[in-house]
Amino acid sequence: MSNQVTLSINNQSITVPAGSTIMEAAQKLGVTVPHFCWHPGLSIAGVCRFCMVRVEGMPKLQIACNTPASEGMKVDTVSDEVKDAHKWALEFHLINHPLDCPICDQAGECELQNYYMKVGKYQSQMEDEKVLKPKALDVGDTLVLDTERCILCSRCVRFEDEVTKTSTLGIFNRGDQATIGTYKDRKIKHNYSYNLADICPVGAFTAKDFRFKCRVWFLKESKTVCPGCSTGCNVNLFQNSNQREYYRLKPRHNADVNGHWMCDTGRTMYEHLNASARLSSPLLNGESVSHQAALQAVTDAVKSISADKLAVVFTAQFTSEEYSATLKTLKATLKSAPKVFVWRDESEKIEDFDGILFRGDRNPNTRGMMDVLKEEGINPVMLKGDFSALASSGAELTLIFGPEIEVGYPNLQKALGRFIEMKKTVYFGNSLSEAAKRMWIRIPVKVFAEKNGTFVNFNGVAQKLKANAPVFPAVKSVDEYFAELGKIAQTAI
Amino acid sequence: MAYVNVSRDPERNLKNGYLATSLVGMGTTLVTFAKQVFGLEESNTVQWPEVEFQYSERFKGAHFLTKRPDGRVRCTACFLCATNCPAQCITIVAGESPDKGVEKYPVRFEIDILRCVFCGFCEEACPVDAIRMGPEYSMAGLAEQKWVYTKDYLLERDAVKRKVGEKQVSKKDENTKHDTVESSLPGIHTGHSEHGH
Repeated sequence: MSNQVTLSINNQSITVPAGSTIMEAAQKLGVTVPHFCWHPGLSIAGVCRFCMVRVEGMPKLQIACNTPASEGMKVDTVSDEVKDAHKWALEFHLINHPLDCPICDQAGECELQNYYMKVGKYQSQMEDEKVLKPKALDVGDTLVLDTERCILCSRCVRFEDEVTKTSTLGIFNRGDQATIGTYKDRKIKHNYSYNLADICPVGAFTAKDFRFKCRVWFLKESKTVCPGCSTGCNVNLFQNSNQREYYRLKPRHNADVNGHWMCDTGRTMYEHLNASARLSSPLLNGESVSHQAALQAVTDAVKSISADKLAVVFTAQFTSEEYSATLKTLKATLKSAPKVFVWRDESEKIEDFDGILFRGDRNPNTRGMMDVLKEEGINPVMLKGDFSALASSGAELTLIFGPEIEVGYPNLQKALGRFIEMKKTVYFGNSLSEAAKRMWIRIPVKVFAEKNGTFVNFNGVAQKLKANAPVFPAVKSVDEYFAELGKIAQTAI
Repeated sequence: MAYVNVSRDPERNLKNGYLATSLVGMGTTLVTFAKQVFGLEESNTVQWPEVEFQYSERFKGAHFLTKRPDGRVRCTACFLCATNCPAQCITIVAGESPDKGVEKYPVRFEIDILRCVFCGFCEEACPVDAIRMGPEYSMAGLAEQKWVYTKDYLLERDAVKRKVGEKQVSKKDENTKHDTVESSLPGIHTGHSEHGH
């Protein structure tokens, strides 16, 4: 028996590994079979009975998600008979659905809503009263559960059982009284809870973080990489482009990096992108100055000293291109390489891993930074809780590239307190913290969503970032700053 | 193939009898004026603003928000009016209602009346009959006036109350959930709903 089977779906032939289901074959072919309970990242349940297809030779319609493909199988997904089956399956799903779409956060990206518009019956034949169930239940710090909206697809139950292995959720009661819920005295308490809101095909699980904040049809998504830790999950970032306001992140499937999921810590990575959390203009001794003036001051300061009097403090939260541009410009201006320090948080346990995605290294580009430093022939000095190496370096000018994501640096205040003991400090970063205010110059920089560049994850996978329109148009990324700095330094000679 | 000559005839006005028709029109004006002076015909002109003109009840003027019978705002902050608005003049900030039966309500509901084009799409989009366009038509004001109508203004302003009165309370069915449903498991009850989906 061969390992491959060839079947035809809507008269198009496709070859899949033996043991694949019709659903997988259809996905591979790009044929959409409507489904609720099937999810590529979870086991097969076959409970929603929505993915009906006609298989030639079988007496009744079959569900695509749980019927294995076999050699020579002829599948049909578009005939009137199949469409009729979808229509009636949907009618049964809607028997007790409350249809409170106007107040449901899922509206706009709801699979039930989408299929209803596509294959719905529009005129219900149900005469019985709807079963009312508990709404707006608090099931954890991150989620709200509405059991009325639930269509009992059991995706969430399987996620809890299979991915996080916490098994907090179950289906209780029977028949039309069946509800999804948490076991007694248990709450959803793990770092992957927002995935439940993602995989829920309806609005039964909604995220507290996003609850009532914005309707999804106002949001525009852009593909990017999560900067929350060294895993570098592929994500979609959602922005209301009229308001220039970021609202949330959602995972994007990448089998090599994160699969289908992402962690809750990563979901907060939109907060520091919005204008209210950011420094908007450069500050010189605490006073707002133009970008040009700040750049001139930094250039003059760099040019007036020799390479051994300049200290550069990196954090691993910038792109490889930025490190490279910084070091190349400084080398060209100073004629030799500056001293480079790498600032890591005191509490960081770099080897930590939670077994799913989240890593102890809270920097997205540790590997990329080290690669660039190696390429430039620089051996960096680690600053981890002990800043004596920097203090005794005799540096007259210190360029600090502060962390973009400050939650990864719980001891940020303490570290900044040590840095301002240095003679002249230039801080590249958006920190609004007290200690940062005492730096000589503070220069705001672009955040990960606004720049083009590369993050190299813990595994050596290099991933490109693509720039969105910046929140503050005048703010530049570090490589843009240093390109200009290099130009000014050269024309002055 | 025929064609139409569209070149202008210099004596067209005279040929069309421009002068004669002007005089006829003037005559009509004078006759009407005389009739009204001697009280033979009633004038259509209203002495605004001393006398207010009464538009039809269905006139679509400035917006107001309707209320539930207990006086709270009906709006559930679904954003359909804001989505539908071609002038993008509606700003809503939604929040968690203190009343569990309602869930979502507008913390802020603002209409920039200078941007509004009075198309009535908001009224049409509203699934709960929460926003209506009222009888108020004279909205002129000074530059320093507040042109952004806030939620309180849309709910409570006197001019609308005077004209709309009881009509401000919507007669549509309550859009709250059944009060026997409690937010705890396994309290499942059957309740009333007269429509299917």
